[in-house]
Amino acid sequence: MTDIRILLVDDEPDIREVVDVSLGLDPEFKMRACASGADALVTAAEWSPSIILLDVMMPLMDGPTTLANLRKNPRTAHIPVVFLTARTQTDEIEQYISLGAQGVLSKPFNPMTLAASVRDYLPASAARHAP
Amino acid sequence: MRKLGAGNPINRFVRRIGGARRWPCIWAIAPSILTYGIWCPADPTLFQYYVLIRHCCCFRRWAIKAFRYCAVSAGRAWNRNVHRRLPADEGQVIVAGVKQMSTKLIKAILLIEDNVGDVRLLREMFKDHGAHDTEMVHVDCMSAAEKHLVSHSVDIILLDPGLPDAQGLGAIRRAHAAAPRLPLVVLTSLDDESIAEQALQEGAQDYLIKGQIEVRGLLRALRYATERKRLERLKDEFVSTVSHELRTPLTSISGSLGLLMGNAAGSLPKPMARLLAIAHTNSQRLVRLVNDILDIEKMQAGRVVFNFSRVGVRPLVVQAIEANRGFAEGYRVRVRLEGARAAADVRADPDRLLQVVTNLLSNAIKFSPADSEVVVAIEKGADMVRLTVRDHGSGIPIDFRPLIFEKFAQADAGDARQKGGTGLGLSIVKQIVDRLRGEVGFTDAPGGGTIFHVQLPCWDHVASLALDRDAKSDAARLLLCEDDLDTALTLREQLRQVGFATDFAYSAGDAVTRAVAAQYHAILVDIHLPDGDGVSLIVRLRALPQYHDTPIIVVSGDPNSGRDDLRSSKLNVLDWLNKPVDFDRLVQLLAKSVAQQASRRPRILHVDEDNAVARALSEIADVVTVNSIEEARLALKTGDFDLAVLDVALAKGASPDLLPELRDSKGNVIPVVVFSANGANLASDAQVQAVLAKSHTSIDSLVATVRDRLASRRTNLFKEVV
Repeated sequence: MTDIRILLVDDEPDIREVVDVSLGLDPEFKMRACASGADALVTAAEWSPSIILLDVMMPLMDGPTTLANLRKNPRTAHIPVVFLTARTQTDEIEQYISLGAQGVLSKPFNPMTLAASVRDYLPASAARHAP
Repeated sequence: MRKLGAGNPINRFVRRIGGARRWPCIWAIAPSILTYGIWCPADPTLFQYYVLIRHCCCFRRWAIKAFRYCAVSAGRAWNRNVHRRLPADEGQVIVAGVKQMSTKLIKAILLIEDNVGDVRLLREMFKDHGAHDTEMVHVDCMSAAEKHLVSHSVDIILLDPGLPDAQGLGAIRRAHAAAPRLPLVVLTSLDDESIAEQALQEGAQDYLIKGQIEVRGLLRALRYATERKRLERLKDEFVSTVSHELRTPLTSISGSLGLLMGNAAGSLPKPMARLLAIAHTNSQRLVRLVNDILDIEKMQAGRVVFNFSRVGVRPLVVQAIEANRGFAEGYRVRVRLEGARAAADVRADPDRLLQVVTNLLSNAIKFSPADSEVVVAIEKGADMVRLTVRDHGSGIPIDFRPLIFEKFAQADAGDARQKGGTGLGLSIVKQIVDRLRGEVGFTDAPGGGTIFHVQLPCWDHVASLALDRDAKSDAARLLLCEDDLDTALTLREQLRQVGFATDFAYSAGDAVTRAVAAQYHAILVDIHLPDGDGVSLIVRLRALPQYHDTPIIVVSGDPNSGRDDLRSSKLNVLDWLNKPVDFDRLVQLLAKSVAQQASRRPRILHVDEDNAVARALSEIADVVTVNSIEEARLALKTGDFDLAVLDVALAKGASPDLLPELRDSKGNVIPVVVFSANGANLASDAQVQAVLAKSHTSIDSLVATVRDRLASRRTNLFKEVV
């Protein structure tokens, strides 16, 4: 059984920790977190996560730019990206999807069901171990 | 604001420093302080403020405050360095300079006015007043204004709402919709306070009466309107940013508390669990509050997109009751659904309607005594579906009734804390129901409690609007695929005036059904439809033989999405118009295409001996069949052909010789489809559109190819003509 690797990109340390604990409720999830888009590009290429959870508003490189850069690199282009953001108005969600995101999870999230929500966005190959 | 007499100390001072009184604005900040704004003669971009301080200099502090107030309200950093003092009998004058906030910022005015005399008058007024660097562009109808706004930079709109193609509030609404970010000033001869008020609610910044305003007042009004619009935008952005910024810490708080409450960090001792439960509930409430504020803000700014579709009220109410079951149990309240099981469908946005029902339900539950019942009922009327929610609470206090749909309104200030509400629920309900073209209200229930009701347009009623029954019977019939009823009704009204009948389809499925039931001269497709995108609808329409070459025009609210895909596709879309629709262009397109269609069936010159082919082709066009080159030459003299179908192996003379002669009366090349045993050597000729081998091609696929060629030729011709 392979682990499901989740990369979280968020500049808020507290949110990183809460997401870490929330996703830790699912024993198959292995999580790493990055505090910036630039870090995320390196980690994603090295670690090949099953899915990336990406914040939108981050200093220096925001979520959409990070996504565009991930898509440019052949090693990370295929990794599904889900935005985890407080900006979830209808037009904003449409915009994220048009950028190539798999989906959007809104902040604040329910920590007890976050893992299940993330699972919904996993590609079939990674999710087949789902209980 | 007060005018100062010529003898006041500021004016004396200004004269002494050689200034000219040009644009005085006076603010009375305190009884003994007057702030006085004036242009600096040396630098016309500098707006100076003079503060007159009477009595004593201890008011200096006030003066500085006054400067700051003026500067901030002008959106400029104020410059303390240019302070000057003027000893005067009455007190002293302090001067501060603020960079101009005035007509300098207003470079381009769009004047929408159909009265030529008024236009001339305004131009003269502006010219006489030296507003030379302000350009005034004039248009005489709304569609021209909408067109202008798409491609030109405009700073402010000056609108007379009595136009040939838009009147009254409708005109204001359209101008606001065409440029929601621009300040809009109404200039009208209609002196009516209630209309003025509504105009401001529809998005205008000011309502001025012709003949009552002179040029200085007008210019000032334009500046102030610009300023008010800027502040309004700042406020919107502020609210939106703050709400989002609040969510970030809230995410950590409610997330951590949620994890603790879910025993993710082990089980909690009882007293601790109780305190954490309080924190958790309240963090949830804060989240709801932030969401509600954002919702209402967006709704008021008209930024919420409603996706209308056919919605069954009953299943939706059942869903809302189900979702509120836990909440009701918390208050020990039962919720019961009454009313006939018959379908009561309305036209609404299901998510927004669910929000309405949920808000009404949770209100009723909150204000019900324990062990009582909330009754939801659905009744179907002729045009409307009525939904009522009855509680057995203490009723709504009389003095609170007029305020009930206001923001943050709660009958008892203590209620908010006690009931966990935000005071925004009913205000949101009202906003949504208004947008759904419905009505919301409340009455006292017999035997105590309150009944809230929502009335929404019945689906059948809206569906009955879909067919244009009022148009003339001989009018060319169009199909408009648009899910926004208001937009559709407006467009129908406009199109009717130029002689078209317009039927509506509210969804892609609707459109196909309608297109099959009747033959339309042209189809307008909104690219965003509730049950799919416009492009796939066009694909489906093109698959219907009778719509193979019907003109289709795309109307889109989003200039970018899908346009290139559609251009490169073979769907033969006549044109792509962005919203707001350039009505003149639309009419031009429609008139040409309908005229061409009505004029005649396509004509095909068929050079062959095969009667089966001729018969098949005559299904889609008038066919002239000839057996020889000579006959073909004769036929060419009888009239123009849209296409020629050739068999090159024709015995008498080689028909390739005919190719250069295949031209219509205007000298245009007639495209050719070769249907022959051997024509491959012609495939490279530009005139030859397709080469089909008789041995490999069925007559059906020949007909399909010919139809395709005719359609693309027709579209190209339209494009050339237009």
